[in-house]
Amino acid sequence: MTAWLRMVVVLLLAMMVGISAGHGWASPADVLRAVAGDPSLGSRLLVEWRIPRVLAAALVGALLGLGGTVFQGVFRNPLAEPYLLGSAGGAALGATVALLVPLAVPQPLLLPVLAFAGAWGATLLVIGISRVSGAVDAAGMLLAGVAVAAILGALRSFLMLALSDETISLQIVLSWVLGGVQTPSWPMLGLLAAITAACVGLTLLIAGRLDILGLGETMATSFGLNVHRFIMVAVLAGSVVVAAAIAFGGLVAFVGLAAPHIARWLVGPLHKPLLPASALVGAIVVTLGDAISRSALPPAEIPLGLVTAVAGGPFFIVLLARRLRK
Amino acid sequence: MTALSADNLSVQRGGATLLDGLSLSLGPTGSVAVIGPNGAGKSTLLKVLAGIESPTGGRVLLGDRDLATLRHSMRARSIGFVPQHFDPHWDLSVAELVRLGAERGERVPQGALDAAIAAFELAGLGPRRWSTLSGGERARVLLATVLVVDPPVLLADEPAASLDIRHRLDVVQALAARGRKRLSVVVVHDLDLAFAYFDRVVLVDGGRIAADAAVADLIGDPCLDAAFGVRFERLRTDDGWLLRARRA
Repeated sequence: MTAWLRMVVVLLLAMMVGISAGHGWASPADVLRAVAGDPSLGSRLLVEWRIPRVLAAALVGALLGLGGTVFQGVFRNPLAEPYLLGSAGGAALGATVALLVPLAVPQPLLLPVLAFAGAWGATLLVIGISRVSGAVDAAGMLLAGVAVAAILGALRSFLMLALSDETISLQIVLSWVLGGVQTPSWPMLGLLAAITAACVGLTLLIAGRLDILGLGETMATSFGLNVHRFIMVAVLAGSVVVAAAIAFGGLVAFVGLAAPHIARWLVGPLHKPLLPASALVGAIVVTLGDAISRSALPPAEIPLGLVTAVAGGPFFIVLLARRLRK
Repeated sequence: MTALSADNLSVQRGGATLLDGLSLSLGPTGSVAVIGPNGAGKSTLLKVLAGIESPTGGRVLLGDRDLATLRHSMRARSIGFVPQHFDPHWDLSVAELVRLGAERGERVPQGALDAAIAAFELAGLGPRRWSTLSGGERARVLLATVLVVDPPVLLADEPAASLDIRHRLDVVQALAARGRKRLSVVVVHDLDLAFAYFDRVVLVDGGRIAADAAVADLIGDPCLDAAFGVRFERLRTDDGWLLRARRA
C-alpha cells in the first residue's frame, strides 16, 4: 500500500513542479490563485495553457506505461518496447501526411487522428503479415515489425523530400517525430482522460492472461490459454494504447521501456498491480520530462523525446548490463 | 473404463514422423512410466495427450470426449501437465505461482492453496521469488502449481531429470504414488526408477508403442534391449530388478 501512496504523492509533486515550471516560473500561490478564478493574464495563461499541458503529459505518460507493460508481457522480454511492431513508423508517416499535405480538415484534429491511424494500421499490417506467412509467434511478429518499419520509414523520407519546399519547413515534422505533448483544449483533454481510463480498463481485462503467458507457451497452453490467439488480442489491445499515446504525445522515447521496470521493482511482476503502477510511473516520468523540456532552455522548448532519451538511454544501458551480468 | 486414450495418433513435422499411428488406453487410476530412447516420441506423445500439440492424424479422448473439441478451461482442469523445463519469464513468488495454478480451476476450494503449499512442504517459501529457489524447491513448486487443482490426469515429462538423486527419488515417488487414486503418466529416463515405482511401463520407440506391460512382464522382454540398442544384464535384487546396460 505504501508503494501506491508513494507513487501518487510523487505524481502530485511532479505535477506541481510541472505547473510551476516554464518560461516564467509560477509559485504554488500563483497556481492556487489561478485555479480559484483569478482574472489576471498570468492566471488565465496558467489555466488555459500550462495546467492542461501538464495533465496531458501525465496522461500520455500513463498510456506509454500501460502500452509498454502489455508489450513486455506479450513478448515476455523485459527489453521489449511499445514501438516494436511498426507503430512508431506508422505514426510518423501519418503525422508527416497531416503536417505536409494540405487537406481540408483542420490540422489540430487531423494530426492526432492520422498519427493514431498510422500507428494502429502499421501494427495491424505487421500482424497480418505474420499471419499470412504463418509465423504468428513473437519472433515472427518482431521480424515483420522490423520489415514494416523499414518500409514506412522509407516512405516517410520520400514524402518529406517530395513535399517540402521553401514554404513548408521540415522542422515541424522533425519536432513532431522527436516527441512533445501538444497543449490540448479542455474538451480534448477530457477526451484524452476518457481514452486513458478506457485503456486502463482494457489492459486490466488481459492482465490475468498476461500472467499465465509469462509461465511460458507450453505451460500457458496446458493452463487452457489459446496462446496464439491471445498474443494477437493482446498486441491489438497494446497497440491501441500506444497509438493513443502517440496521437497526443508524439514519439516519446524510452518511457514505455523504463516505466514497467520501475513499476516492477515497486509492486512486483503480476500484471494486475503492475499495469496501474506502470501507468503512474509513466505519468511521473513524462510530467517531469515535459517540465524539463519547457523550462531548461527558455524561451525555446527541447523536444520531450530528446529529454526522455537523454535520461532514458543511460537507464537502458544500466538495465542491459544488469541483465547480462545475471 | 479409461480416463485418457490415444486413438491412432500420428504427428508429422518438417518431414519427420514423430508419432506413427500410436494407440494407447490409460485407466482412471494407475501409475504409468513412459520410457524409450532419445527421439522416440515420448515428449511429443505427452504433449499431444495433454492437448498442447495437435496430432496430424488420430485423436485423443478424455473420458469419451474428443480433446480437440473440449473447452480449454475444462482441459486445463482435467489434465495437469508438468513440462520438462519450466522457467517462468517473470520472477514470481512461490505463493503467486501456486495461485496462478489454482486460478485455472473454476472453483478451487478455499483450502486447496494451503493444502498444496503444505503437501509440497512449501510453507516457509511463500514470499520467496523463483530466482532464489534451489532445483529441488523449484521442482516442488512446479508440482504444487500443477497439482493444486487436483486434476484427474497428470502427465509429467521427466520433471526430475536435472535434480540430484535424492530429490529425483522424492519427485518420482510422489508422482507414482499419485497413481493410487488418479492417473499419473510420467516420462522417466531412469529405467531403474521406472521399474521400481510404477505399475505399468510403456516403451515407445520410433513413434510407436514397442511394449506396454506390467513391470514384471516387461523386464525380461528382449524388445527393451532392441529399443535402446544395448544389451541389458537383468539383476534380481531384494525389491525388484536392476538393469545394467552393456554395449550390444
